[in-house]
Amino acid sequence: MNVIRNNNHNIKKQHLVSWWQTCNYYLIVFPITLALCLLLTNGYGQSGTDTVRIVLKAIPGMQYDLVRFTVKPGSYLRLVLTNADDMEHNLVIGKKDSRQKIVEAATALGVHGPAVGYIPKLDLVLASIPVLKVGESDSILIRAPRNTGVYPYVCTFPGHGNIMFGAIHVTNGIMPEIMADMDIPAHRRKSDIKGQEHISSGPPAERHPYPLVPPYYYRVLMPDAGPAAIAVCLPGNLAYCWDAGPCRLRYAWTGEFLDLTDYWTVKGELHAKILGSVFYRDKGGFPFRMNVNEVKSIAPTIKFKGYRLVNGYPEFNYWIDHVEVFELIIASKDGKGLLRQFRMKGLHHPVWFVHDKDDGAVYGSDKGSWFGTQLKLDPQEAAAFSIIMNKSGQ
Amino acid sequence: MKIVHYFLLFASIWIYSCKPDTLQTLPEFSYQVENIELPKGLTGETGAIEFLPDGRLVACFLRGEVMIYDPKTKKWHLFASGLHEPLGLLIIDEKEMLVMQRPELTRLKDTDGDGKADLFETVTDEFGMSGNYHEWNYGPVKDQQGNLYIGLNTASEYGKVMPEVRGKLDTTLVPGKPLQKFSAVPYRGWIMQITPGGKILPYASGLRSPNGLVIDDLNRLFVNDNQGDWVGTSVLYQIEKDHFYGHPASLLWKEGWNKGDPSKLPIPELESIRTKGCVLYPHGIIAASPSQPVIDRSGGKFGPFAGQIFVGEMNQERILRVMMEEIGGQLQGACLPFLDNHGLRKGNNRLAFASDGSLWVGQAQHGYAGDLGIQRIVYTGKSPMDILTIHLLKDGFELTFTQPVSDSLPMDTSHFHFRHYYYDYHLKYGSDQYDVQDVAVSRVELSVDRKVIRLKLPVIKAGYVYELTLTDIFSEKGMVLQNKVICYTVNKLNDPL
Repeated sequence: MNVIRNNNHNIKKQHLVSWWQTCNYYLIVFPITLALCLLLTNGYGQSGTDTVRIVLKAIPGMQYDLVRFTVKPGSYLRLVLTNADDMEHNLVIGKKDSRQKIVEAATALGVHGPAVGYIPKLDLVLASIPVLKVGESDSILIRAPRNTGVYPYVCTFPGHGNIMFGAIHVTNGIMPEIMADMDIPAHRRKSDIKGQEHISSGPPAERHPYPLVPPYYYRVLMPDAGPAAIAVCLPGNLAYCWDAGPCRLRYAWTGEFLDLTDYWTVKGELHAKILGSVFYRDKGGFPFRMNVNEVKSIAPTIKFKGYRLVNGYPEFNYWIDHVEVFELIIASKDGKGLLRQFRMKGLHHPVWFVHDKDDGAVYGSDKGSWFGTQLKLDPQEAAAFSIIMNKSGQ
Repeated sequence: MKIVHYFLLFASIWIYSCKPDTLQTLPEFSYQVENIELPKGLTGETGAIEFLPDGRLVACFLRGEVMIYDPKTKKWHLFASGLHEPLGLLIIDEKEMLVMQRPELTRLKDTDGDGKADLFETVTDEFGMSGNYHEWNYGPVKDQQGNLYIGLNTASEYGKVMPEVRGKLDTTLVPGKPLQKFSAVPYRGWIMQITPGGKILPYASGLRSPNGLVIDDLNRLFVNDNQGDWVGTSVLYQIEKDHFYGHPASLLWKEGWNKGDPSKLPIPELESIRTKGCVLYPHGIIAASPSQPVIDRSGGKFGPFAGQIFVGEMNQERILRVMMEEIGGQLQGACLPFLDNHGLRKGNNRLAFASDGSLWVGQAQHGYAGDLGIQRIVYTGKSPMDILTIHLLKDGFELTFTQPVSDSLPMDTSHFHFRHYYYDYHLKYGSDQYDVQDVAVSRVELSVDRKVIRLKLPVIKAGYVYELTLTDIFSEKGMVLQNKVICYTVNKLNDPL
């Protein structure tokens, strides 16, 4: 990764002042340099200037999106920081090997921290961007040191300094392999482009303090379902998503179960990813009808009561008005689909199970009478019945 | 002069340390932090910790595990798994506990006695979910009448609303400009009450991120809220029925609400209906993200602060201490650091007292500043030199120390530096400190037993935080004052007139 633009334009010798020097001379030269650099950067985009523009974001996960970058010694750098996190951050650039000392001094500011933006007055501090509130941006124009080396940038907000930092590699060459870059946080020494990390959730065996042997389940945010879904992994590479909001099966798939890497990486805003291929998808809404003939019957009140584990399988328990339903889903005997075992209590009239004809499943049942896509069950039959849903085409 | 002070100080330490018998029996520190080893394969994002009556620890972790730890054998066993970001726990007994997870408050039961939960009963799911990551749920805590209370986080403007939500959707505030936390489904931003009969009722509104509820011995409910939009600095509220605590998003779900976008109401109107916090935690000074409050009911086993509130802090290697008093019919008070460094990690999300009086701390980060794991803080028996209490007087403050203050130094005003400032109430994320002024102490009075110091101030203003920094305070035995900053929130003046 080399974000620097290499064109060496003619910067006059008398302007070559290290950007951390605070002599009076600099006060005079700085406006000239600034004007010159603004002139050079303005409107030229990617090429033709000596000023490198680095755009950094503070992002969720206590990090800068860019964890390291290179600049040539003595080059000009426009550093833009945007706070895209939901807490406050600043940015302090320090001399070589100064991060720990700067962070300690920032902590030692105590009650005086807020007034100075948690930026300690130290010779070690080369430049800084003050505390940015959520959504704010700021930038600084700076001159890279003429000495090559690694110059840290760090957020000195209390508690952030030992995790939220990065490295400016001032060099004419390239950066070390990211895996071996000891100047960036350990958890960022992992991958590839942009210096971005991708925290691994580990192989399944290391995700939890117990082996994951089907059947097992997760309550996680699932795609194409409500936010109260349950994902269940069955033996035989089968899995399904049952939605505890509307109390119904949403879809089923074969193959690997879930990728939770993103879900577990940042605050849980990214959904779990289904790894297999979905063979059934619910299209018909709630499957049970208490009165199939009424076209516009009043929607029943559905209430999720919970579940019991039966040999590790969740048996869902819910109410349809005053009818109590138990639903246990296992793999069918031949492993080609799902076997849904139902028990209904408090039923005094027939009940219909209705499905969409193109939902990907081929239906069968051990009780009741089928009328196309509708299964009619009388109260005695509904007390305990099974519906089989095989992958169509099998 | 200062040299003389130091000479006297070192002399007193030297004299003290010349008693070898005493020295050998006294530990170096008042508190020690120990790490609890987690089982292999566990990601120690701690969502909740509580103790069973038999002394074992129950811990919830954000990847869905509920685990039980026996401090005697140091062994863990799995009680339940697969839960959705469990962030709260209320224990009935070893076979029954309530867990607050993202979609439901759930009663976990071990009905066959094999040490694992096999029945997961929904206590309530009658609150909305938009699928936004920020909609965490906290609690439950139980009051003396058997009511439960839970806290429902608002949604983040940086997250999304799922195509399917649970509950009625109101898009009035769904992320637009200006950026602020929102409430797209019922009761996000509310504290809810669940009656012993299982009915769920909206109890109080105006919360932003109420990560931490506690009920004290007088049956009062306290909740911490986190600095951000509409919350100038993090704050401890006393929650009372039907009160509004300042974050407007939740007002959408107030019964009969007909004023449209509540965040567009004039500030004076919002100001007139909001209840202010009892204790403000000055941002970046005391805490940036306070978490669960717990009450020290150890009766002295955890040191001299029995009855006070301890609070976790996510952003720093710190635990806080809070004390309150009733002034003008309302609670207000002060916060100060309790334990800094000492080997404590960041991310102090959950706190629980063990029966031996040790304070256990569960850590989390979950994409924020923080850490992983569980630690316990043990009182060594060596009394710390610290501020025991602070009281607002008509014309100043009265500090009581845990130990007599050394007389090797004259107790003059040079040891006490007051500043005052206030935080603004506004939509924009966080508040600066306004009207920051040094306040000179006009007089210092020391009690005969040298434990109480009265600091007289020329004037005290309501609506301000009074921040006191103490310097060069030692105990008679030469111990340095442990925590040197204390911040008192003056909502009301202590003036009977």
